[in-house]
Amino acid sequence: MLDRFQAAQRRLESQPHLLRLGALFTETVLVEIDGAEIYLHFEEGRLVSVMPGPSRKTPWRFALRTDRAALEAFWQPRPAPGFHDIFGLVKIGRGRIDGDILALVKNLRFFKEFMALPRQGDLA
Amino acid sequence: MIASLEPIVGRYVTLEVAGRPSRVYFEEAGQGRPVLCLHTAGADTRQWRHILNDPGLTATNRFIAFDMPWHGKSLPPGGFQTEEYLLTTEGYMETVLAMVAALGLDKPILAGCSMGGRIALQLAALHPDVFSGFIAIEASDFQPAWYDIDWFHRPDAHGGEMGAALVSANISPYAPEAERWNTLWMFMQSGPGVFRGDLSFYTKDDSLVRRLDRIDTRKTPVHLLVGAYDLTCTPEDAARTAAAIPGATLAVMDELGHFPMSEHPQGFRSYFADALDRMPAAA
Repeated sequence: MLDRFQAAQRRLESQPHLLRLGALFTETVLVEIDGAEIYLHFEEGRLVSVMPGPSRKTPWRFALRTDRAALEAFWQPRPAPGFHDIFGLVKIGRGRIDGDILALVKNLRFFKEFMALPRQGDLA
Repeated sequence: MIASLEPIVGRYVTLEVAGRPSRVYFEEAGQGRPVLCLHTAGADTRQWRHILNDPGLTATNRFIAFDMPWHGKSLPPGGFQTEEYLLTTEGYMETVLAMVAALGLDKPILAGCSMGGRIALQLAALHPDVFSGFIAIEASDFQPAWYDIDWFHRPDAHGGEMGAALVSANISPYAPEAERWNTLWMFMQSGPGVFRGDLSFYTKDDSLVRRLDRIDTRKTPVHLLVGAYDLTCTPEDAARTAAAIPGATLAVMDELGHFPMSEHPQGFRSYFADALDRMPAAA
């Protein structure tokens, strides 16, 4: 999964509208997949590091916890109902969002579109 | 050369709601059986424009859609600047009934989406004599919020942009990209605190649950439509609601979400035409 986020990191650089929308977003986000931690550190809309966990020393603003199969379903071009949105994953019991939810909501379009970047095809 | 004009015509009317005048914008198109259309929370009449522009439907139906006070081109009532906007079931019903009376509509069909569908079912239970039938879209008895409604009205953030980003969770991936964004644009434009005030009624008032069995579908048919991608009113929510209304019917729209007439007009059309077919002919 680390490679998928590294590829999304590169793709983000080619999305000027996302870089603009995320211009005030400087936060660390924890994505936990089947218990494996990945720390995404954003600075002013750029993803500057993708760090594997586990880590007890890395503070994060909010976390998205899910499983690999759910994330793969989320990344389908036309996901099934519930898998089409990060809040859908929560609603169907395949995801959990913790931490400073307001920080997420204030930057919701940016973060949701970042998370959906792998839907746009091969990210290798 | 003069451009081709859409058949939709917009006008204004002043209603008396809660003892105060309220200038309301409405659009209409078509002729024949009157069908009054209600938009969702945080949006406006533009959600219905594809139906009002559909010659196959307007040939025999007169569609009227109006912006609720505080929404779209309808003004908030005088003195709004010091008020907290909080829609209520009673105020919403009064507004719909005032609109029917103001336009002299003779037993219209009432078609509402989301909170509009919720109020359609309330009116089916409490004021059935005014209408001839009800099409309740993305409507259910009650769901508590899965979000904090106060997110959408804060001095340190743009409620419209946050609201749009949140409700995008309810749009189907089958929705054409242009209509997805046209749908979200309405939420981005919503006045400060309006989406929150709509959701206050929608996510806190559960009075409909105890009224559903009052609805007499032999006199006023009720047809529910729900999109499979609707996270707010899920197919399970709509099925539970339909089951509590003796004689109500339900169709699940596999490739649609919470704003079907707006997010995916082509996908919605056949379901809405079928719903209209289930309603009584003009009085």
